[in-house]
Amino acid sequence: MNAKDEMDAKDDRKIVAFLCNWCSYAGADLAGISRFQYPPNIRVVRVPCSGRVDPLFILIALKNADAVLTSGCHPGDCHYTSGNLVARRKFSLLKSLLDFVGVEPERVQFDWISAAEGNRFAARINTLTDQVSKLGVWDRWGSVVDD
Amino acid sequence: MTDTNTLSKIQEKARRLLEDGKVEVVIGFAAGTVPGKSTPSFISAKEDCESLVWDNGCSLNLAKYVLKEKRKAAIIVKGCDSRSLVNLITENQIKRENLYIIGAACPLSASCAGCQVKVPVIYDELIEDGSEIREVSTIAERRYDDVLEFEKLSAEERKAYVYGEVSKCIRCYACRNVCPACYCKECFAEKSLPQWIGKTTDIGDNLIFHLIRALHVAGRCVDCGSCQRACPMGVNLRLLNHKLLMEVGSLYQFEAGLKEDQILPLNTYQYDDPQPFLAKGGGHE
Repeated sequence: MNAKDEMDAKDDRKIVAFLCNWCSYAGADLAGISRFQYPPNIRVVRVPCSGRVDPLFILIALKNADAVLTSGCHPGDCHYTSGNLVARRKFSLLKSLLDFVGVEPERVQFDWISAAEGNRFAARINTLTDQVSKLGVWDRWGSVVDD
Repeated sequence: MTDTNTLSKIQEKARRLLEDGKVEVVIGFAAGTVPGKSTPSFISAKEDCESLVWDNGCSLNLAKYVLKEKRKAAIIVKGCDSRSLVNLITENQIKRENLYIIGAACPLSASCAGCQVKVPVIYDELIEDGSEIREVSTIAERRYDDVLEFEKLSAEERKAYVYGEVSKCIRCYACRNVCPACYCKECFAEKSLPQWIGKTTDIGDNLIFHLIRALHVAGRCVDCGSCQRACPMGVNLRLLNHKLLMEVGSLYQFEAGLKEDQILPLNTYQYDDPQPFLAKGGGHE
């Protein structure tokens, strides 16, 4: 792989973002309205609540993407009172299991971003894309053999 | 190690229950066709009680068989079976009053590493054999040596090991079928709308299956080890289970199947739950 191809491959890294309809999705919208710049690597999936995000979704997304971000409302601000608090327990276990089996911690990330935090959303995507571009090639659960 | 005294007491109890018509079937173990392995046995005639055994081969978790039993049943349990029954009762899968539980200490000579619940935690009658009955509240936070050793390896080594293990899997689902915590009518592994994972032994599908299997029993697994014993390919399934048992213990101070009034950790939440998973950088922390 020459230097230019490598650059393209890095720019091409896909990040799936599961965003809660009531906060992070609106936060992403606010980032757009406010003209905050962030890289185009993310593919947004709008979910009704971070509690809707099954760990299975995240693992399946990693079959075709290089990283996954899941973002919901700050604890205490859930539209459904406790969806994000239940999700928090699932995510804690998923995250420790993925670290345990040797998946880089940057590949699966979680955050709380409210509808008022457009700048924070843009900053998160900037750091995330930056972190992911520094990682090695993701083997997509063993289906891609690094040469 | 066959304790003939315990066995005769179990047989006697089973016979009496059937005779008195208290139960229609006794779920226990009979000698298997393979030496050293006892097989689950459903006894509905009192003369058949002699065929019951209680020996080193009784390693399966019998709680699984209560789920589909429509008759009024008695079940012979060891420590982990009884904990699975506690789980099934709190998850409203079985009714305590439909079940007569005969408890006896675990007959396995080589017990599972770190097992502290050899004597059943719930029972209608306990066959005493002098084993120490441990108060469930005294059980210390679990530490599993295999997990602690594994965590000393580098991320690459850990990944290589896990990939190697799951690549052995032939996706027979024996681990799921034998597990008393895996009772979903339709498993995600077999759903076709949407089809989450392929049916082949592709390494990616195998990995996702095993990670999700471990997560689905997180906070419910009682570490009976049936999954690993059932596995024909010798996949080290308990490593993932042990990791999650440790995480659930340290994050939520919980161990499954010890108390009948338990609230499973993934069914509840606290406002100040730890959130070690939160991403660093980019925000305003």
